[in-house]
Order: sequence, then C-alpha cells, then structure tokens
Amino acid sequence: MTASQDPVISVESVSKWYGSVVAVNEVSFGIEPGVTGLLGPNGAGKTTLLKMIEGLAAPSDGAVTIFGETPRNNPDLFRRVGVMSEHEAVYGFQTGRQFVAWSAKLHGVTAIAEATARAIERVGLSDAQDRPLGTYSRGMRQRMRLAAAIVHEPEAIILDEPLNGTDPRQRIEFHDLMRQLADEGRTILISSHILEEVETLADRILLMVSGKLAASGDYRAIRAKLDEQPYNVRIVSSDPRRLAAALIELESIESVALGADNDVIVLSKNVAVLQRSLPRIAKDRGIRLERVEPLDESLESVFSYIVEG
Amino acid sequence: MAEIFLLSLRQLMGRWRVLVILLLAALPTLLVLLIRWIGEGDIAFHEEFVGLIIDVMITGGIMPIVTMTLAAAAFGNELEDKTLYYLVLKPVARLSIVAAKLLAVLVVALPLVVASGVAASALVGAEARILGTLALALAAGVTAYATIFTFAGLLTPRALAYGLVYVLVWEGLLSTIVSGVRYLSVRGYTLALLHGLDETGFSDLAERVIEFPAAIVGTSAVIVVFFLLALYRLRTMDVP
Repeated sequence: MTASQDPVISVESVSKWYGSVVAVNEVSFGIEPGVTGLLGPNGAGKTTLLKMIEGLAAPSDGAVTIFGETPRNNPDLFRRVGVMSEHEAVYGFQTGRQFVAWSAKLHGVTAIAEATARAIERVGLSDAQDRPLGTYSRGMRQRMRLAAAIVHEPEAIILDEPLNGTDPRQRIEFHDLMRQLADEGRTILISSHILEEVETLADRILLMVSGKLAASGDYRAIRAKLDEQPYNVRIVSSDPRRLAAALIELESIESVALGADNDVIVLSKNVAVLQRSLPRIAKDRGIRLERVEPLDESLESVFSYIVEG
Repeated sequence: MAEIFLLSLRQLMGRWRVLVILLLAALPTLLVLLIRWIGEGDIAFHEEFVGLIIDVMITGGIMPIVTMTLAAAAFGNELEDKTLYYLVLKPVARLSIVAAKLLAVLVVALPLVVASGVAASALVGAEARILGTLALALAAGVTAYATIFTFAGLLTPRALAYGLVYVLVWEGLLSTIVSGVRYLSVRGYTLALLHGLDETGFSDLAERVIEFPAAIVGTSAVIVVFFLLALYRLRTMDVP
C-alpha cells in the first residue's frame, strides 16, 4: 500500500530508559506489509517498544517512523494507523456500537454507520453490539476494541496482546481476520508473550528479550534454531523403564532420568529429532504414550536459548 | 471535538461525584434557609452574608472544591483507567482534546457554582446587579480553577489530594491572613472582581481585596498559563 520501498514501520537504534533502568536497548528493524509478530516474555520491553512506535512514549534515543513520518504528536498519521493497546479498559457506559462509531467519528470516517457495522461484523459481534461494554466478557471486549481499531480501514495496524482473554474459537476467528487484513495489503504488527499465538499467523517474527532484539526473520528459521537447542521433555508412558532404555540409544538424547511419578525426563539436544523418533520407538515396543510435555517451553527459557546461542 | 466533549461530560457524571458537588453547591442556600428557620430575624445581604457566605463559604470552599472535583477527574480518570490512548491516537489535535475536556468541566461546574452563589444571594434580597456581578466573578474564578486542576489531573494521579491541601492552606488560610498572597490567589482575584465590578454592592470587601486591574490580569494569566501547561503536558508526557 506504500508507494516507496521504505518499510512501513521503521525502528532505528531505538532505546528507552527510565532512570537507570533500560527498558529497550538499541533496537532496529523495519516492518513491511503482512503480519509481523513481536514476541518476547513478559517484561521483555515489547509494550514499551510498541508505545514508542505508536508515539505514546518518546524514545530516549533513536528514531521511529510510520509511513516515513514520526508518530509522536502527529495526530493526522492516525488516519492511516489503527492501534489496540494492551490495556483492556473501555468506556463501560457505551454500547459496543457507540464505542466503534465514536472511534469512527474521531478518525474522520464519513459513512460512520456503514463503517461501524462492517467493523463489528468483521469481529463477529453484531448480535451484541447494542449491549453496554460493561456487560461484555473479556474476549468480547477485546474483539470490540479490535473493531474500533480497524473501523477506519487503516493501512497499518498495531495490536498489543490482542488475544488476551479470548477462547480457542475466538483465536481461530482472529487468525482468519488478520490473514484477511494482511491479504488486503495492510501492515500488521502483533505483540504476544505466547509463541503459539503468533507462530502460525505471522509471516515474520521479532523476538525481544531483556529489551533487546534477540532474533528476527522467518518463523521457521527461528524455530529451527530453537529445535537445535537442548530441551527438557517429560514423558508419561505405560513402561517408563523400557522407554528410557530405548531413548538413551538415540544420538540426540543427552540424558534420560526416571522421575518419581513413573515418568521419564529426557534432555534432548534436538527436539525435532525427538518429536520424530518418539512415536516410532513407542509403537515398535508396544509402549503406550500417555503424556508428552516440555518442561521448559516458557518463552523465557526458549528465548534464553537464543540469546545464549 | 464534540465527541470528546460529550464523552467527557458523561465521564464526569459519575453518581457519587454528582451527589457530592450537588450537596456542596446547595449548602449556602440550605444555610440561609436554616438561619431563617431557627433565627428570630432575617439575614441581610450585607455584613455577615458577604463575609461568611460569599467570601468564606463560596469563594473559599465551594467554588474551588466543586471545580477541583470535576477538573482533576477530566484527565485523571482517563489516566487511572488507562483510556487516554483512545483520545491521543486519533487524528485529533491535542489543543482540541484539552479544550473539550475543559469545556466539559465548565459546562458542569459553572452553572452549579454560579447557581450556588446567586440562589443564596437572591434569597437574602440581593439586587439584580449584585446577582449579575456575582455570576460574572464566580464564572471567572471557576474558569481559573478549572484550568489549574485540569493541568494538575494530567500531572499527577493525586491531584485531588494535593488540590485539597492547596485550597485549604493557600486559598483558604494564607490568602485570608497574608494580604500579599491575594495577588497569587484565585480566591483573591474573585473577591477583587466582585468589588471592582460593583463597589457599592460589595463595599464590605473593600478592606481586603487587591486592585481590580490586578485581578483581571491575574485571572487571565492563570487561565492562559495553565491551559498552555496542560497542552504542553499532553504533548510531552508518556501516555500509559
């Protein structure tokens, strides 16, 4: 949707510090049309970075531009940009429709009723649009806030933790809507602290850890890098001893231990190999797998692999 | 701007806030009625009424507290609820946002404070000219306080608490006992405007007011400076 070759959103050597605390440290990247996921554990600096991209906070150093313009104190830019913050508060006395129409009016939309109806339809809340927002569930509130953020058909959309409070069905619908918006040529930046929320949706991932950009690029490339890292997995099965004996034969397995609850704790050097081998080993030996769960799948540990790697 | 003004108006109409300011605004009238009911004679406009009801009760208490309660909430509520981003991430000039918020405060505070003074004064037989003067001076005082506390609401989440200390200590106590403070006091300006606009009607204030031109300059300066400060703050602050 942009005429030039420059990234839609450009972040150049951006830092933000509060006193002696560095929240964002020398982060640079450019974002093109499509869906970009900004991932990182809680406290990684994602929200601070998004606030600077949205112009809500001034960078201590560096520069942010959207469509080549600084977003700070640049109200007119937000005719082309839609934002949904992490804060879930709404004006509880407004109905969903009033809230979205209010947003449309302030964005300078001319056909307010039509735009409002279209945005609410897109998030699937037409049936609830005349109820006060104060009576909505958390997931419904999130969806209506999303409708308010896209009611003016923005070319760039910035969403901070948009899936908080949504159920699995709503997440699927959200994914479909984001893909639809991306297919229309829009630039979408979504932040999340949950890898699974964004991995299947984003064309590109930005990983933030401790205020720094730890990795960026295609999700599969990052995932491959993750797969090469040692990984602790807990396996509950019908015959843990035989399973442990079989697993230790694998080259990618660094150690195997029997747990107290009749389970096997495996430290795998390559989780992808384990994923492929485990079902075959179990089938060949007639062992029933009851549960397979990663012990360190939190983003904190996953990201620490990347940072240390 | 109309959308932000209407939203702000609705935000200011919280049940408890409205109840408190209505009760405060009704106090002078209730007091006059009480004095009439329990007293042997009637209360006159001059002497004790101007000193007690208009000076101490209205300009020293009701006007600043009612205005502060509303103005501190104008941005304070948005900051507390973290909804301010809905306003600043719209293609709306910061000037329009501050103006809309201030206007919403004035639309509620002005009629209440003016009615509070005018109704009580009318009950004790004040002439139309006095009532008009009272309305004008109180309107100027409310506008000055509204800009001060609208800015304060953007500055700190404790604007109401700090504001109360300021009203009681600076405007209430110091401006009464230290004459120089009246040059830096909205209450001082309001009383001087009353006297300057109608020296005969408010002759009881002659001994304790600053010069009329100083009051006009002071009131205008407060309104302009604090409006600009609010605008500057909204432009430069990190929005939560």
